[in-house]
Amino acid sequence: MSGTRAVFQKEIATYFRSPIAYYVVAVFLLGSGYFFLYNIFLGGETAMAGTFQNMGVLLLTLAPVISMRLMATEYSAGTAELLLTLPLTPWQIVLGKFLGAATILLLIIAGTLVDLIPLYFFGTPETTTILAGYLGFLLLGLACLAVGLLFSTVTHNQIVAALLTAAVLLGFWFVGHLQTFQTSAVVRGLVGYLSFSLHFTDFIQGLVRTEGVVFYVVVAAIALTLSAGYLQWRR
Amino acid sequence: MSASSVIVLESVSKRYGSRAVVHELSFTVEKGEIVGFLGPNGAGKTTTMRMIAGFTAATSGRVMVAGRDMATENVDGARLIGYLPERPPLYDTLDVSAYLRFVAKVKGVRRAALPGEIERVATACRLEAVLRDEIFKLSKGYRQRLGLAQALLGSPEVLLLDEPTASLDPGQIQETREVIRAFGADHAVLLSTHILAEATLICGRVAIINHGRLLAIDSPAGLQRAMEQTNQVLLRVTAEPSALRAVLLSVEGVHAVNLRTDGADAGVWSVECQVEAREGVEAAIARAVAGRWDLHQLERRQPTLENIFLRYVQDLPERGAAA
Repeated sequence: MSGTRAVFQKEIATYFRSPIAYYVVAVFLLGSGYFFLYNIFLGGETAMAGTFQNMGVLLLTLAPVISMRLMATEYSAGTAELLLTLPLTPWQIVLGKFLGAATILLLIIAGTLVDLIPLYFFGTPETTTILAGYLGFLLLGLACLAVGLLFSTVTHNQIVAALLTAAVLLGFWFVGHLQTFQTSAVVRGLVGYLSFSLHFTDFIQGLVRTEGVVFYVVVAAIALTLSAGYLQWRR
Repeated sequence: MSASSVIVLESVSKRYGSRAVVHELSFTVEKGEIVGFLGPNGAGKTTTMRMIAGFTAATSGRVMVAGRDMATENVDGARLIGYLPERPPLYDTLDVSAYLRFVAKVKGVRRAALPGEIERVATACRLEAVLRDEIFKLSKGYRQRLGLAQALLGSPEVLLLDEPTASLDPGQIQETREVIRAFGADHAVLLSTHILAEATLICGRVAIINHGRLLAIDSPAGLQRAMEQTNQVLLRVTAEPSALRAVLLSVEGVHAVNLRTDGADAGVWSVECQVEAREGVEAAIARAVAGRWDLHQLERRQPTLENIFLRYVQDLPERGAAA
């Protein structure tokens, strides 16, 4: 546990001593703030559903930026040789890094809470729906970061890692649209189950379904397990 | 292998695909010993260091560090190892103090002991002046010393140093050697170096490696003794060359003779004799020559570590490459 904590603390220090964390948080909050104001004042919405949907798409583009450096820069800077020869298990490294990236996600979420002030001040939004939306956003974000960590672990180039992550995340996001073209119920069910956006839509509509929670947790767990396995294997 | 062997390599090989980088390497490093690892670029030094450090696993054979098998107990073994890779592994965005704190924490240094431990290695490596500086601002010399400082954290039983004095100025090299020498008094140290004088100065034993094969391992003096078995006698003589050659080759213990005219004096020949390493050969040569011709100079060339190294790595140029 102390190894995971040390890696986590190092990650946090590294994030905030480089412009990446500030850039990601600032861009996300500017983007989500714009969409929130647009949905409220121009769209006439008095809930967070539209904003959550926009936040999800924004997250797909920014999660690769958060995750791309996690392991790829360790390889390119030569620090992987330190990290992998210190008394750390692959799981301690992976978890420490994942938690570091997850902290940026939590900061993003905390920043968007400001949006709720005018919402509650001028309207009567459903608190449970908003909580479900935030839970969905958190789970979606964790799954995206875990996938990003995996691609950062298997490549030495952070740009390649970011591009691969973005491609896979966009695939997971839009795979649900294939339902329209499928006649087979099995395939329709499968692409629907694999869809990041369909599960996320459930959450932002206030539906916290076990199926959705398990889906995001399993995606994250598989990506983290593959990352740890890769670190072990590359020895 | 003895009970005090801290690093043990048993028939260790490493292949990357079909390319063999290290072949059947076996040697030990004892507690309280500094072993120098010599070899040209691409000899397999860094790969061997990485296998001992647990960064990469051996394809076959066994690497043991303080009784831990680095193939299966690498995390346990890593607690006992301080490792400075060829390129100091530094996080440029951290400051020196934060970096050392991170490594110390991972190595299990207790929170209360952290400031003292960081101060100890910072003092040993002369880093006090830059503790608050960000690493990307450091000079090459400071980066190298910071790499050494992180390896010293937690007083590991084993220190693996890949080119520890690279990028340092002469004063810093001297200080770093003192640090290594002091540490090696009661720990096991394996250091790779291109600087042959460094191996002679601070290493109790020297291992010579080329094409992934261990060519020799002995004390610098032992290597010199071994090399003397085929050492040279040099002489300058005024003589008729064919008769001189015949006389020299008739002396017992002389294997080969190479004559060159001495450019400065007509009729004077510089002669290089390959001789057996036993007492009295040069005296026999002197007796055979002095009675017939004018002998101006006779000396037995003592092999330097540099000559020894070159002889070893040149004697087996392609064995490893062919494997």
